[in-house]
Amino acid sequence: MSDPRLVIENLSKRYWIRRAGSTEGGGTRLDRLKSFFSIPLASDLLHAKELWALKDVSLSVEPGRVLGVVGSNGAGKTTLLKILARVIAPTGGRVRGSGRVVSLLELGAGFDDESSARENIYMNAALNGIPRDVVMRRFDQIIEFAELQEFVDTPVQFYSSGMYLRLAFSVAINMEPSVLLADEILAVGDAVFQERCLRKVHELAREQGLTVLFVSHDMEAVSRICDRVIWLKDGQLHRDGQADEVVTEYQNAAWQLLAASANGSELRGSSHAGKYGEILDVKLVSADGREIGSPPRNEDVYVRTRFRTHRSKTRARCTVELNSKGVLVLRSTQPFLYDVGADQAYEAHVKIPANLLADTGYTVNVGVTLVKGEDEEHALVKDKALSFMVYGDAEVNALGSSLQRKGVVDPQLDWTIVVEPNVLRA
Amino acid sequence: MSYAPESVVGAWTIEPRQSTVFAKLAEVWRYRHLLGYFATRTLQQLYKRSSFGWLWMMVRVTAPIGLQGLIFGAALGMESSDGTPYALFMLCGQTTWILFDRSLLFITRSMERNKKLIAKVYFPRLILPIAAVSPALMFLTILSIALAGVDVYFWHRRGIWFIPLEWRLLLAPVAIVISLAFAIGIGFWTSVLQARHRDIRFGLRYTIGFAMYATTVLYPISQINSPIVRRFVELNPMECSIELFRYATVGTKLEISDAVFTYQLVAIVLVALSGIWFFNREESASVDKM
Repeated sequence: MSDPRLVIENLSKRYWIRRAGSTEGGGTRLDRLKSFFSIPLASDLLHAKELWALKDVSLSVEPGRVLGVVGSNGAGKTTLLKILARVIAPTGGRVRGSGRVVSLLELGAGFDDESSARENIYMNAALNGIPRDVVMRRFDQIIEFAELQEFVDTPVQFYSSGMYLRLAFSVAINMEPSVLLADEILAVGDAVFQERCLRKVHELAREQGLTVLFVSHDMEAVSRICDRVIWLKDGQLHRDGQADEVVTEYQNAAWQLLAASANGSELRGSSHAGKYGEILDVKLVSADGREIGSPPRNEDVYVRTRFRTHRSKTRARCTVELNSKGVLVLRSTQPFLYDVGADQAYEAHVKIPANLLADTGYTVNVGVTLVKGEDEEHALVKDKALSFMVYGDAEVNALGSSLQRKGVVDPQLDWTIVVEPNVLRA
Repeated sequence: MSYAPESVVGAWTIEPRQSTVFAKLAEVWRYRHLLGYFATRTLQQLYKRSSFGWLWMMVRVTAPIGLQGLIFGAALGMESSDGTPYALFMLCGQTTWILFDRSLLFITRSMERNKKLIAKVYFPRLILPIAAVSPALMFLTILSIALAGVDVYFWHRRGIWFIPLEWRLLLAPVAIVISLAFAIGIGFWTSVLQARHRDIRFGLRYTIGFAMYATTVLYPISQINSPIVRRFVELNPMECSIELFRYATVGTKLEISDAVFTYQLVAIVLVALSGIWFFNREESASVDKM
C-alpha cells in the first residue's frame, strides 16, 4: 500500500456567529472605527457565539481512493472541502498532502460569464498554476470531453447548466489533479453525462491514483462510486468505513429523524381536519388487525386510515402515497364511497402485498377527498402521517454486499428460463 | 496523459497560521500567469459594451486635462517656475498624478469585484490588487503619447525641445515606479476594507480629488507663499514622484530639499510595507466575513 495522499490531523474550524444586538452598524463611534479596521471588540466577543463547523477531524486518504462525504446540512462537509481547497484557513490542526488539488466547489466558480469557453479554460489553468502552453496541448481533449466543439467561442453565460457542468468537469479533470474535490456538483448533469463523469473518475482513480472527495446527498450515487465513506455529524467524524455500511447506517438515522418529525407534526394539527370531515389517525396494521411498527418484507400489511365525515350526502375517497429516499414510490386511490352519513367514522384499509417493498424506510402521506354536489371539493391531507421501516429476510442479507443495493421497491417478479435450441449443430 | 514537469506540485501543508509575506510573494511569482490574466480582464471590462472603447478611454483622460490647461494656463495665466510652457508643465504633473489616482481607485475595487472567485477558488490574493493597475498603465501610455505630441508642438512653435533625449529621462520610469508603489501600498489597505465596507470607495474618491490640490500638479511649489501651506504640501509623499518626473522630462529642478525628498520616499516605503502586512493578515479573515 502506498503512502497516503492526504493526511488530515485534528482539523478544526471555528466561526464566530454574531448575535442580534451586537455592534454591527451600532455601538459607539470608537467601536465602529475599531470594527472597521477589524480590531476585536470586547462587546463583540461577549455577544458572539462560537460555532465549530469542524472539530478534531482526523483521517488519511490513499491515492486512488474515492471517498464519499455524507452528513446533514451544516455538518461541515463543505467546510472540510473549502479548507482542503485553501479557500478558508483552518482554526486548528493541519493537513499534509501532495500533488495538485483541483476543486469543483460550485458550478461555474472560477468561470467568467462574459468570456468564452476558450478564455475560461485558459483562466482556470492559470488559477491552477498551469502555464498556457501546457493547456494548449490539452485544449482539444477538454472540449471533446465536454462535447462543446460548436460552442468554443460562445460566452458561457449563454450555456445551459448542463453545458456549464460539462465544461467545468472536463476542465477540472484535465488540470492534472492528484486530489479532486467535488461538492454536490454532479447533481446538475443528465444521467448520461453523470455516468460518463463517474466512469472517468474511476478510470483516473485506478490508472493514475487520483484521490477524490465526493460530497453528495444522493446516497445512490455515493454508494455507487465511493469505496469508502465518512459521515460528518455536527462537525465531527461520526463514522468512517465501507461505503455500503456507512450509507445504510446514515439512511437509517435520517429515517428515524424523519419519523420523529412526523410524530411531531401530528400535534400541530395541519389541514387534516376541516368542516367536511377529519382524518382521525393513520396506522400500519397486520392482516389480523394488530398495529405494527416495522413489518417484515414477506408479509402483507395494511395502511389503515380512520376518518370522520361531518356532512351527509357527500362522496369520500381516500388516497395513500408511499415515499422512500425522496421518491414517490406509489400512490393508490380508493374508488369513491357514495352517500356518506353525517358524523360517521370510517376505516379505509389498503393492502400492501408481501414481497413488494424493499428493506428500507418509507413515509406515508394520506389524503381524503370529500365532494359535495358537482364541484364543492374538499381535501384533507396528512403529510408524513406514518413512517415505517421494512425488514428483509435473513437469507437475502447473507448474500454478498454488492447484491444488497436495492431500488425503492423490491418486488418478486416472475422469471422464466429455457434452453435455447442450438441451430448450428443441427 | 503525461504530467508536464513544470506543473508537478510537490508536498504541501495547510495550517492555521498565515504563511510569511516572503512565502506569499514567492507564490505570486509561481502564479504570475494569473497576473496578466487579471490585468487584461480588468482592461476588457472597462469598455466592454461600448463601440468606441479605445476612443472613450482617450477622451476620458485627455479631455479634463485639456480643459484644465485652458482654464489655468490660458485663462488664468498660470506659469511654471522656469519658463517651461504651462501646458507641458501641467501635463507632466497630471501624467504622474493620474497614474496614482487611477491605480488606487481600481485597486480599491479589485477584491470586491472578484468576491465570487475569492470565495470559491484559491490563488494568491495579492495578485488581484497588483493586477488592477492595468487601466492606470493604459492611461499612462495615452498620456505619454500626448506628452510627446505637445513636446513636438512646442518644438514646432519655439524651436526648442523642452523634453530633450538625455540620460535624466531614465529617471521618469523611477518616478512612475514610486507612484505605483504608493498607490499599491495604500490599495492593499483600501481593497481589503472595501470588500467589507462599501463606504471606502466613496470616501476615497473625494479624498483623492482633494489630495490633487495638495500636490503640485497644477502649480509649482515655488508659487506657494504661505510657509504653513508649503509645509503641508511637503508632507504629501506623492510630491517626490511628481517632482522627480518633472525633473526627468522637462528638467525643472527639484524644488524640495533632499531631506523632504528622503522623508517622502521613506513614507512611501513604510506605507507599502504596512499594506502588504495588513493584506496578508486580513485576507483569510476577509473570506470568512464575506
